[in-house]
Formats: sequence, C-alpha cells, structure tokens
Amino acid sequence: MENKFKKITSLWIITVLILFVVAIILGLLMRFNQGGNIKLDPVTFYTDMTIHGLTMIGIWFVAGMAAVNYIMERYVRTSYKANLIAYIMTVVGVLMLWGAGFIGKFHAGWTFLYPLPFKIMWEQWATPLFLYALLVLGVGWTIWTVSLMISLLKKYTLSQVFAWQHFKRDAKPEVETPPFVLISMISLVGVLSCLITAAALDFLLLTEYYSNGGFINDALLMKNLTYFFGHTLANEMLYLGLAVIYELFSEVSGRPKWKTSWYVAYAWNLTLFFVLFAFLHHMYMDFVQPETLQIIGQLASYLASIPSTGVTIFSILVAVYGTKINWNLANLMFFIGTAGWVSGGIGAVIDATISNNFLLHNTLWVPAHFHTYNALGNVLFSLGFFYWFSFQLKDGIIKDKHSMLKILLIVIGGIGFLAAFYFAGADSVARRYANYPEEMASGKFWATFGGTFATIYLLGIILFIGGILKRCFGFVFSRV
Amino acid sequence: MFRLCLFTSIVMLTILPAQSLFSQSLGDFREEINIYNTLYDAPLHLVGGADVSLHELAKDKPIILALVFSRCSGVCNPLVLELKENLRMLNLQQELPYSVLVLSFDPWDKIEDMQYMAERFNLTNEPDWYFGVTDSINQVINSVGFKPIWDEKKKQFDHDALLAGVSTKGKMTKKLLGLRNSKDLRMLVQSINKVFIPSYRLPTNTSIFTCFNYDPETGKIVPGTGLLIIIMPVLITWLTVIGIRMAVRKKTT
Ligand code: HEM
Repeated sequence: MENKFKKITSLWIITVLILFVVAIILGLLMRFNQGGNIKLDPVTFYTDMTIHGLTMIGIWFVAGMAAVNYIMERYVRTSYKANLIAYIMTVVGVLMLWGAGFIGKFHAGWTFLYPLPFKIMWEQWATPLFLYALLVLGVGWTIWTVSLMISLLKKYTLSQVFAWQHFKRDAKPEVETPPFVLISMISLVGVLSCLITAAALDFLLLTEYYSNGGFINDALLMKNLTYFFGHTLANEMLYLGLAVIYELFSEVSGRPKWKTSWYVAYAWNLTLFFVLFAFLHHMYMDFVQPETLQIIGQLASYLASIPSTGVTIFSILVAVYGTKINWNLANLMFFIGTAGWVSGGIGAVIDATISNNFLLHNTLWVPAHFHTYNALGNVLFSLGFFYWFSFQLKDGIIKDKHSMLKILLIVIGGIGFLAAFYFAGADSVARRYANYPEEMASGKFWATFGGTFATIYLLGIILFIGGILKRCFGFVFSRV
Repeated sequence: MFRLCLFTSIVMLTILPAQSLFSQSLGDFREEINIYNTLYDAPLHLVGGADVSLHELAKDKPIILALVFSRCSGVCNPLVLELKENLRMLNLQQELPYSVLVLSFDPWDKIEDMQYMAERFNLTNEPDWYFGVTDSINQVINSVGFKPIWDEKKKQFDHDALLAGVSTKGKMTKKLLGLRNSKDLRMLVQSINKVFIPSYRLPTNTSIFTCFNYDPETGKIVPGTGLLIIIMPVLITWLTVIGIRMAVRKKTT
C-alpha cells in the first residue's frame, strides 16, 4: 500500500474523530437542555441540533468512504487525487456549514425540509451559505464516488461487479467477485443516486431563493427528494461499513476469507434495488401522497433490510460459532456494531410499518432507532476499522490495555443513552423539542437519564480513540 | 451521457427564468390566513335578545360564521341565500351538528337591522340560525383575517364573500372564500366536527414541478412532472455506471 494512501486515510480519521467528539458534546448539550439540567435558548438548541445531525451524518459517511477507498487499493488502483479533492472539499464544506450554523444561526434541522430554509429566522446570508456548502460537499463526494466506481469498473465487468455470475447455486465462475467489491459497488451506486438527488434538491432550492417569488417549489416533491437523499444516504453509509466488515472480520479474527455465495449475491442485489424505495416510509403522514406509494414504502422497507441483515448475521455467526477467534478491539467493534445495526434495524422496521407509524411518527422512537444503528452500529464499524488501520501503521500486531473497560463504557453508555430515547418514544414524547411541555413531562426524566449515559459513552469513546489519534498523527507528521 | 446532462440543464435553465417572467401571482393563500387560530371571544348580541360570547355559542355546537352587513348591495345576500339552500340540501345536522352565525361586520348595524335581515331570508324561526352584532367587530375580523374596505363613493364595503368554520374550542378550522358549491361546504362542516379534510394545493403559474396534480372538477389525482425529477437521479446513476464501463472497455481494447 502506498504511503500517500495511508497518510490521507490518517487525515480522514483524525478529522472524523475530532468532529465526532465535538458533535457528541452538542448532543449532550441538547439532551441536558431537554432534561432541564442546563438552559439553552431555543435558537441555540436548534442550531446545535442542525449542526449535530449534519456533522454526524457527514463524518460517518466519509469515514465509510475513506475505509472503503483504503481497502479497495487491495483489489484495484484508486485515484489519490479524487480522494484528496474530496478531503479538501469536505473540510471547506464543513466550515461553511458550521459558519451558517454557529455564526449565521441557520437552524432548519439536518433535513432542512422545504420551506424551512426560506422561513428566515437567522442571518439573511446563512441560507445561501448553507445551500452552497451542500453544493461544495456534493461536488467533492460525487467526484470521489465516481472515481471509485471507475476504478472498480476498469477491472470488473458490469455483471461481475454486481456478482451476477454467482446467482447460480453451484456456480464456479471464472472470475470471483469478492464480497467487499460487491457491497462497495452496490453502496457506491446508491450513494451516487443520493448525491444526484441532493444536487437536484439544492438546485431547486437555490432557484426559488433567487427567483424573488417567480418560482415556487412543490412541497411534496421537495419532501420526497429530501428523504430520497437523506434516508438513502444514511442507509448507504451503513453498507459502506458492512463492506469493510466483510473484508476484515475474518482477517482480524484469524479465520478464512469470506467468499461471495449465491445468497450473498442475491441479498445484496435485492438491497441495491429496494433501498431506493424505502425512503417512502417517511411520507406516511403525507396524505397527498397516493396510497400505492405508501404501501410500496412499507414493502421496500422490509425487502431492503431483511435479506442483507439476514446474510450478514448468518455469515458472522458461522464465522464465530464453535470456533476459536482471536478477539481484539477491532473484531469486537465489528461484532457489537452488527448487533447494534440489527437492533436499530428492528426498531426501524417497527416504525416503518404503517399501523405503528400512526403512533410513533415523529416521536423520540425515530432518533432512538437511527441512533442505535449509528452510535452502536455504523460508528463501531468505522471505529473497528480505524483501530485496525492505526495498528497497520505501527507493527500490525493488535495489543491493547484496558480493552474491556473501553468496550464496557461504550456499550453500557450507549445502551442507556438509546434506552432513554426508546422509552420516551414509546410514551409518545415528540422529537425535536428544545423544552418539553407539560403533556410530555416524562421526556424530561428520560433526557437526563439519556444524557448521563451518553456522557459515559463519550468517556469510552475518548479512551478508545486516544491511541488511534496518536498513531495517526504520528504517521501524518512522519517523513515516511 | 454528457449530452443528456447538457440537454437537461439547458431545458431547466430556459424553463425556469421564462417561468418566472410570466408568473403573475404567488398563489392565493388567503384561505390559509389565521387557520387554526383561536377567534376573538367577542360578546354577541343576538336577534331574540340573547347575549352570549362567541366561544360560549360554539361550545355546544361548532359554528359556521358568515360575515355580512345589512346595507350590502353586493355579495352578502347571495352568500346567505346559497348557504341556506346548500345546508338544506346537504341535510347534515344528524351526523355533523352545527349552528350558523350571521354576524354583521358593519359597526353601524344595529340588532334591528339584523332582525330585518333574518326575516327577509325567512330564517327567524329556524333552529340553529343566529343573527347578531357585536361591539368588538374589529377584533373578530382581525382574528379571522378578513379585511373589508369602506368605499366612500359607493357607500359600500368592498369585501370578500367569506364563511369561516369555528370549532367547539373557538378555533377557526377552515375558511371558504367566494360563493362555493355544496361539496366545499360539506368539507367545512366536517372540519368543524373534527373530521379530517384532505387539502390540495391551488394551481399556480409559479410552480411547474408538481408530483401530482389534483383536478377539482373530476376529483382525480394525475401524475405531474415532479415525478420525473424523483426518478431522474436513479436513471442518471445507471447511465453513468453503464457509460463508465463502456468507456473503460473501449480504452482497454
Ligand atoms: C452519544 C452521542 C450522541 C448524542 C448525545 C446525541 C444526541 C442527540 C439529540 C439529543 C438529538 C435531538 C433529538 C430530538 O429530536 O429531540 C439528536 C439528533 C440527531 N442525531 Fe444524535 N446524538 C449522538 C450520536 C449521534 C450519532 C452517532 C449520529 C449519526 C451518525 C447522530 C445523528 C443525529 C441526527 C441525524 C439527528 C437529527 C437531527 C435533526 O433532527 O435535525 N447522533 N442527537
């Protein structure tokens, strides 16, 4: 592996981890404000919420991309230039977003649902700055995504890259598609669709902004585009993490490498298709959306999640059941992360069932499930990779002190933090409230409870990432 | 691929400015103004002698509020007449109870003027019909979002024909501007009885990419150009994937 890829990946890791700690602190401030333990004015709360959401989604997406790019170098040559451009544009885009939020007080939520960006309750310039920030991020990420696709398609044909030659049960194909290549390509296709959708959304928003009332957007179209982009991206970034697990889990556990079997090929191809329709479950309460689309939303939510979850759990269980595994912090993070991903997925499928959605829509059940598959799922996938990667930089041997303590703090802190969201959600406490009114009084108790456990989670994270940061910084500033 | 992107961009870039040049209005959102606000709880003097507040009157049965004035030579008479006819035809009282309050917004109107009006429409003895005046008419019309303008030359108010639905909690749940058909009136009565009423966006010149368009004549929903924008990213993605593969294959052979 060329050193420049190690350097750029180290830079990504350092950036992601620093932003992660800041974003968790914003999350804690929100939770303790909801609990009445501290007092933020509502504008600060919603600014923090917007920046927290966008930063978290952004960093864990790029973390997945950086990991996939690093590992992809094992199979094909990737473009260092595209990786670097994406890094620079991400830093510039994040600075612009934070400027719009922290200085301009833009606070329309991470989904910036239309027409909120135009209900200007902040500095006038913050809305265009926010929209241009999205453009910068979108362009950088599109260049990176397309360049990774080009790298894969130079070596694999279309049917090979999607593992269609593996569909036959007893197939012995000439060219085997590694699961990592299959899942990466499927995720990249989804990511590109999201980014083009985001571009269309941004274009329509900017057009309305500059048209002085001459052009008005259709609210239903904008909501569909927003969730096509937002929901699908949140899913695809998980799949990027899973691609890494399919590659590294067996390797760091001292087990034989995983291969693409017919059911893995089928499951991921189904995901490729159905994940594009799952976002429709965000529209259940939009009665103007025809009923057929609502039903498609429910079916697609099941069909996108169940096959890929099924084969991943199966593969991991087969790998660990009754065999000796070299457990270390990397594969433990992958293992616990998969459990978190599945638990969050169950929470999501419950909410994506129309009859339940009547009760759970826009309650804290929603942040409950997406924080589960992020804070105890995708984040752990990437932390597992970061950990493994940082040891690659040193001597390749994974040894660590206090592993158990770190894991316990993250898991116990994480479970308590998430439980508070679930219990409050089941008690109909609405999401996105800076201060809970009397009708949702239980929300206050759960917020303090969740905030306390989230502090334990943060402690675990700080202990966990200390060594990784040290090794990555050391490598970035070394002369090798 | 490149040509397709170029073509789409050119189409979008030409349609949008042209669209804004020819656009005339921002759409009529007057029916949305102050919706779900609590109406001012004005003390009412009703024909027949009763003195109650607006919220007290609405407490037992939600109200259809018609704002008129007795000297009106314009839309007031057709408004009340059509309301009477439509309600009689719909015959909703059993399933969806309501009362009708015909309130004068003219500060010069006296209770006798409203009594005369009720007689003219033959509604004096009709149960659930109330005619009245109030000393706090400005607060009422402000809370409704109704803006009559006095025309000194004609000695008349220039005003909309307006019906407002008021729930048992005194909240305005729906407004109807203009003389409307019985279907719309049924929706208003449903809305004050807490029955969910789907709404639809009024067509405007300024919005071109709609997902679905509602045709009030047929009551049908038809797909719009906005749906294309939702499908487009997936199409472009697949064209890109296929295009890349074709391009790299050409290069290697
Ligand atoms: C311990 C760590 C975390 C804490 C304390 C935290 C806290 C919070 C809180 C309090 C909210 C607002 C909930 C509400 O609607 O009332 C929130 C929203 C959100 N969080 Fe987190 N969070 C954490 C980790 C994460 C992670 C890891 C991710 C994603 C990878 C994430 C993504 C989001 C998003 C997307 C929102 C929605 C923002 C919006 O509604 O605009 N959070 N978080």
